[in-house]
Amino acid sequence: MSQVAESLASRLAELVGAGRVHTGPKSLAAYEVDGRRPSAALLPSSVAEVAEILCFASAERLAVIPIGGRTHLHIGMPPHRYDLALDVSALNRVLAYEPHDLTLGVEPGITYAELDRNLREKGQFLPLAPPFAERATLGGIVAAAADTPVRYAHGTAKDLLLGAEFVTGEGVISKSGGRVVKNVTGYDLHKLLIGSLGTLAVITRLNFRTFPLPPLQRMFVATFADPLGAMAFCRAIMQSPLQPRVVDVLNPRAAGLFAAYSGGNLGRDSWLAVVEAAGHEKVLERHARDLASMSREAQAAEFIALDEDQREHLFGCLCEFSPIAFGATSAATVFRIAALPSALPALLEETRKLAARHALDCAILIRALGVVYLALLPPANPEAYPELVNCSRELMTLCVTSGVAPMIERCPLEIKNALDIWPPPGTEQEITQRLKHVFDPHRILAPGRFRGGI
Amino acid sequence: MQRTIIRELERLLGSSGVLSSPEDLLLYEYDGSVEEAGPDAIVFPRRKQDVVEIVKLANRYDLSIVGRGAGTGLSGGALAREGGIVLAFSRMNHILEIDAENQRAVVEPGVVNLDLSRAAEKYGLYFAPDPSSQKSCTIGGNVSENSGGPHTLAYGVTSNHVTGLEVVMPDAKVIRLGGRAMETPGYDLTGLMIGSEGTFALVTEVTVRLLRLPEDVRTLLAIYDSLGDATDSVVDITARGIIPAACEMLDGWTLRAVEAYVHAGFPLDSAAVLLMEVEGVREAAETQADEIIEVCRRHNAREVRRARDARERALLWKGRKEAFGAVGRVSPSYYVLDGVIPRTKLTPTLLRIEEIAKRYGFVIGNIFHAGDGNLHPLILFDHRDRDQFRRARAAGAEIMQLCVEMGGTLTGEHGVGMEKNELMPLMFTETDLDLMRKVRAAFNPVGRLNPGKVLPLGKGCGETRLQPFPQSAGGNA
Repeated sequence: MSQVAESLASRLAELVGAGRVHTGPKSLAAYEVDGRRPSAALLPSSVAEVAEILCFASAERLAVIPIGGRTHLHIGMPPHRYDLALDVSALNRVLAYEPHDLTLGVEPGITYAELDRNLREKGQFLPLAPPFAERATLGGIVAAAADTPVRYAHGTAKDLLLGAEFVTGEGVISKSGGRVVKNVTGYDLHKLLIGSLGTLAVITRLNFRTFPLPPLQRMFVATFADPLGAMAFCRAIMQSPLQPRVVDVLNPRAAGLFAAYSGGNLGRDSWLAVVEAAGHEKVLERHARDLASMSREAQAAEFIALDEDQREHLFGCLCEFSPIAFGATSAATVFRIAALPSALPALLEETRKLAARHALDCAILIRALGVVYLALLPPANPEAYPELVNCSRELMTLCVTSGVAPMIERCPLEIKNALDIWPPPGTEQEITQRLKHVFDPHRILAPGRFRGGI
Repeated sequence: MQRTIIRELERLLGSSGVLSSPEDLLLYEYDGSVEEAGPDAIVFPRRKQDVVEIVKLANRYDLSIVGRGAGTGLSGGALAREGGIVLAFSRMNHILEIDAENQRAVVEPGVVNLDLSRAAEKYGLYFAPDPSSQKSCTIGGNVSENSGGPHTLAYGVTSNHVTGLEVVMPDAKVIRLGGRAMETPGYDLTGLMIGSEGTFALVTEVTVRLLRLPEDVRTLLAIYDSLGDATDSVVDITARGIIPAACEMLDGWTLRAVEAYVHAGFPLDSAAVLLMEVEGVREAAETQADEIIEVCRRHNAREVRRARDARERALLWKGRKEAFGAVGRVSPSYYVLDGVIPRTKLTPTLLRIEEIAKRYGFVIGNIFHAGDGNLHPLILFDHRDRDQFRRARAAGAEIMQLCVEMGGTLTGEHGVGMEKNELMPLMFTETDLDLMRKVRAAFNPVGRLNPGKVLPLGKGCGETRLQPFPQSAGGNA
């Protein structure tokens, strides 16, 4: 260790204790973000320590990236600077849980799986099931704006987060919102933290509303020869009185990946529409009946109800779409594109042509008829990268010009070196920059990772 | 206000687009709250460009601007606390588009809440937030206050139903936040803007999500001889995993006042009624209604009625939605409070409110969204008696403090406005408030928009830098 590094390590040890500062290359490798390695990783054990670390980092102009379960660090552009990893995994307590009020307050480092176990004991859940639930932390889920198959019924963190406590880039502990399910007191600063990738503040507490677990749930799969049939089926659901909790669509490649992943054999060459309903038996029967008839009208080849094991499995696959694509090839480039239902058929057709032109495989998951996860799957060798870059750039342009908002959620570093994973900023850029300046005037929080170079 | 300014405004908007006579100004001194504050002029833009020009003019003459929808707000949000211009959106009231296929509508801010739902009805859609004032309140006002309503228990408040905004910033630039899609990469500025009570920017266009009308609605009225049994029922219903679409409570005093006016069929000798609604697919509504009835009976409900048809349902809801009007008949004035507590603390909180009522010598009626713990105590007083007014405010502040003590918040849906800005320290530390001030200043650096609202006055806020209002040359101010 150099003298500078040693002196830094000892000053950091004064902040959090020597046992909670890592400077060895082995430990630090785990904290790499886009190939950049920090000089130290810190594991604070209290909010006060988080504040001290950020005061110190702010004074010394050290760049900090807040880190949870390290499951979503691939999102964002490579950081401009990266000196300290602020690992919140030791802040992992449930601070308040009032089942009868359906409210919850947690520290950011608790994993989704751990929290879910707590809630299930009381017959409740938080509808934010992320990929890698055993490792993903609530702080990370919020900061990455991870979504979940049940967003069709429950929305996303924006709809579930009641309030938060956080520490700004100047080390100031602050909060907004509240702990009750309804509240309009003061400005909703916590909304800004959702999807902010740690560029505004380090989250130290999150208050959520929870939901009762449904008495029963059942998953149905309809298979279609082409995307238009699947889309027509889903639009019919949208226009019906039914209230399913999941409405996702898979293209044949995605279905194939899931089948390979699960050893199952769900319609490998078909488009799949996956629908999950919840409620009492009568409600499920009604869904089964109506969905079957809608699927027939939409010319489905098959319509089946899954058994509980299959359901759990497929639900897991839907949650894990991005990692499954990444498992197929480490060069997977996953777009996340928000689009209106009416825009989906044209978008699918354009992307099909585009991928074919570049001879790239592509797996598609359409979530809740509103967000398209599109994974380009090139062979994992550097020779494929130029084609991948071209295809990604064209897809980005295609989306932007047709008025839908894309971002690349996961891709090889080579892609990030060649193009921006964010769409170009719009008229909101000036106020966005001013807000960044309010929260983090010295630009020490995850600099460069966010949209518009923030 | 200087004649020259009025003339300039008239040149922009036509003479029918500007009000400045003393009688007209008087009408805009009020909203739905107990607050008062008068503007120096009221302007009625018809299009976005008018708003831009008004903002430019206000910048030239250093005037403050307060956006106003229908003026039904209950925290003084639409009052010109420091004079200046009230910018009334009532003529920007067009539904620009209903995109039924994608379940979106694009509207101007002055569109009345219920008008939007009515227009969407032919597509089988509606706009979920339903404040009691929905016959007159506007979507722009709903966005500013992040309004709720009885059905927000299941469907959420305004912020859960808005996907995009177009706003005019205090520097007169027009920017777009969010869009029509479910999400937009970048900070959630739409979420931040909603509920900012007109202190960040002026909203000129709103894109909202429309929901599908439910296939079946079951409306239930449970009647109790004890308030405690009613509140216990609420907790137990949730514990069973049922989230009703709405769950409203009226206490004995309030239900009697309402019954005398609306004749909704509330028994006059009961201690509380619960008005509940479940909806969705027929099978779900049916099962949940049965379960709710069972829970209410177990908690000693004297009677549980089901609305048999749309007419009975409408009558029960009339009893709820026109409750404030009913109270207006029996008292010269009333002060509607808005606080939230965890729903498990309903019983002890209501007992403490009763104590406060006795101590101050007021009747306090309670009508509230029981399902989400959103209380609306009504303090009856006579506003002509300044001492009563002062004591009503003090009793209100004490009830607000109680809500915060119980783990709740200062406002669930009415906003902070100029009613509760000095109570903000009950919930937030000085550093919390300071960050909020800085965020406001990022949007609204000289405090031109809606000064004196949301945050406590008197410390480091931009608005204190605002120049005093230019003295009238024409005798109107």
